[in-house]
Amino acid sequence: MEPWQLQPAGDTGLTPAERFRSVRRESGLLESLAQQTCFSSLRIYFAIAHRLSIAGCEKLPEHGPFVLAANHCSHLDALVLGAALRPRHRERTFPIAAGDVFFQTVAVSVFSATVLNALPMWRKNCGPHALAELRRKLQEEKAIFIIFPEGGRTRTGSMMPFKHGLGMLVAETNVPVVPCSLIGTFDALPPNRKIPRPVRIKLIIGDPLDFPSTANDRSGWSQIAKSVESSVRRLAAQ
Amino acid sequence: MNNTMWQRLFGFRHAFDDRVTIVLTVTAVVLLSVTPLLIFITARKTTAEKRRELWDRYRSWIWLSLCILIPILAGAFWTILAVATLSLLSYREYARITGLFRERTISFIVVIGILMITFAELDNWYRLFVALFPLTVALVAIGGLIPDQPKGYIQRVGLGVLGFALFGSALGNLGNIANDWNYRPILLLIIFAVELNDIFAYICGHLFGHRKFVPNTSPNKTVGGALGAIILTTPLVAVIAHFIWSDSALDNPICLAGLGIIVSIVGQFGDLMLSAIKRDLGLKDTAKLIPGHGGLLDRFDSLILVAPAVFHYVNYFVEFGAGQPQRIFSGL
Repeated sequence: MEPWQLQPAGDTGLTPAERFRSVRRESGLLESLAQQTCFSSLRIYFAIAHRLSIAGCEKLPEHGPFVLAANHCSHLDALVLGAALRPRHRERTFPIAAGDVFFQTVAVSVFSATVLNALPMWRKNCGPHALAELRRKLQEEKAIFIIFPEGGRTRTGSMMPFKHGLGMLVAETNVPVVPCSLIGTFDALPPNRKIPRPVRIKLIIGDPLDFPSTANDRSGWSQIAKSVESSVRRLAAQ
Repeated sequence: MNNTMWQRLFGFRHAFDDRVTIVLTVTAVVLLSVTPLLIFITARKTTAEKRRELWDRYRSWIWLSLCILIPILAGAFWTILAVATLSLLSYREYARITGLFRERTISFIVVIGILMITFAELDNWYRLFVALFPLTVALVAIGGLIPDQPKGYIQRVGLGVLGFALFGSALGNLGNIANDWNYRPILLLIIFAVELNDIFAYICGHLFGHRKFVPNTSPNKTVGGALGAIILTTPLVAVIAHFIWSDSALDNPICLAGLGIIVSIVGQFGDLMLSAIKRDLGLKDTAKLIPGHGGLLDRFDSLILVAPAVFHYVNYFVEFGAGQPQRIFSGL
C-alpha cells in the first residue's frame, strides 16, 4: 500500500472570516458546486446578452498550473475569462481580485470566495510575502490564476502598462502565461455604470509564454511584464 | 398526515409535556445564568488570556444551547433537520482535516447518503435507514473507482466509509430517536449526560488523576478522571432515565445503571477516537468554528458513538417510535 497521501485542507485552523480572505483557502463540495453553477450560468448569459465569441480556445494548456493575463477594462473581465474556461478547469481557477474592493466586508468576501473563488490582492500593502504565497499555491496546487497585470481597471479604455507582479509569480518556473485580449467589456460596463449594456464581447487567447530561464529578480520581472504586455497588445490589434 | 403525527413533528405546544424536559431545560438555563458569576469568582486570579477564553467558551455555550434546545422543543421535524445539519457540518470538518474533501465523488456520495438518512428519519422508515449503510458503502466503493487511479484507493474509500459510518449512520440515530412520541427528554438526557460526563472526567482528572490513561492518544486523560466520570454519570443517567421510562422493561436498577455506564464509557471513547484522529493528523483542533471550543467535532465528539449505543440499548427493552405511523411521506 502507498504511504498516506491525503493532507488536511490548507486553510485548516483559520476562522471562517479569515478563511474567506486567505490565499490558503481550498474549496469544498458546495463551493465547487456554486462556482460551476455561477460560471456555467455566466457562459449562457454572455452568449445571449453579449454574443461572446472566443478565439484561440485550443491554445489553453490541458491542465494547470497556468496564468491567464489580460487587459482590464471592467468588472466583467474576470467573469468572461472564468466562463470561457472548460468546466474541469474551473475548480482550480482563482481570479486574483483587489482586496480593497472584493474582500472589504465579510459579506462581499463570502460572495467573492464562495461563488467566484477569488483570491485577494491587497494593492496598498502587497509585499513580496503575499506574492510568494500565490507563487507557491500556483505551483503546488496546479492552480489557474486570472490576473490583470495593469493593477486596476482602465478609466479611459486604453490599456495601461503592466506591473511586474506577474513576473514575481512565474519567473524561473515552467508555469505558462496565456496572454488574453478582451474587447468590448469596457463599452459593456465602463467604470461609471452599474448595469452592463448588451454589447458584443470578444476574447482572443494567445500562445502560451513561459519563462523558465528568466531571472527571478526585478529586471526579470520587468522583462516578463513587457513580454506579456506586448503579446496582449498584438492580440488586441489583430 | 394524522393529528398525532403532525403534533410530533411540529407540535411545539407539547414541548413541556414531560417533567424531565422541564427539569433539564430549567437546569440548562440555571447553569447558563450562574456561570458568569462562577467565571467572575474563579477567574479573578488567572491571566487575562485565560479569562477571555472562558468568556468565549461561555458565549459559545449560550449559542450552542439555543441551537440544541430550540429544535428539540419545537418538534421532531426541526430536531431531525438539526441532526442532519450537525451530521453534514461534522462530516465537512472530518473531510477537510483528513483531506477527503478533495475526493469529490466520494464526498458527494457520503453527503447524498446523509441526506437520504435524514429522509429515512423524517419518513420514519427504519428499514431504509438500515439499508442505507450497506448501500452507501457499496456506492463509496464504486465511486472510488471513477478516477481510475488504484493508488490510494483503500485510503480514500476507507475514509469515505468511516465518514459515513460516524456522521451519517451513527449520528443519524439521534434523528431516529426523534420518531418516538416522547423523544424530547430522551435526546436532552443524552446530550446533557454526554456533556456532563466530559466535565466530570475533567474535574475528577484534576482532583484524583495521577495515572495516565492513554498517554499517546490523549496525554491529559487519566484513569482517575475516567473512573470518576463513570461513577458520577451512571447514577445521574439512571435516575433521569427512571423518570423517562418508568414502568417499562428498562425501568429496573441494573438496566438503568447499564444505560449510565454505556453513556459514560462510550462517550469517553468517542472523545478518545477524535483525539486519535487529530493526533494522527498532527492537529490540535478540527476547526476554528466555535470560539473557545474549536470545531464542531471537538465539541460533539463524545456524542458520535453514544448515539447508536443508546439507541440500540434502549430499543432492546423499549421499542422506539412504537405506535407512530411509518413511511409518512413515501407511503402516501
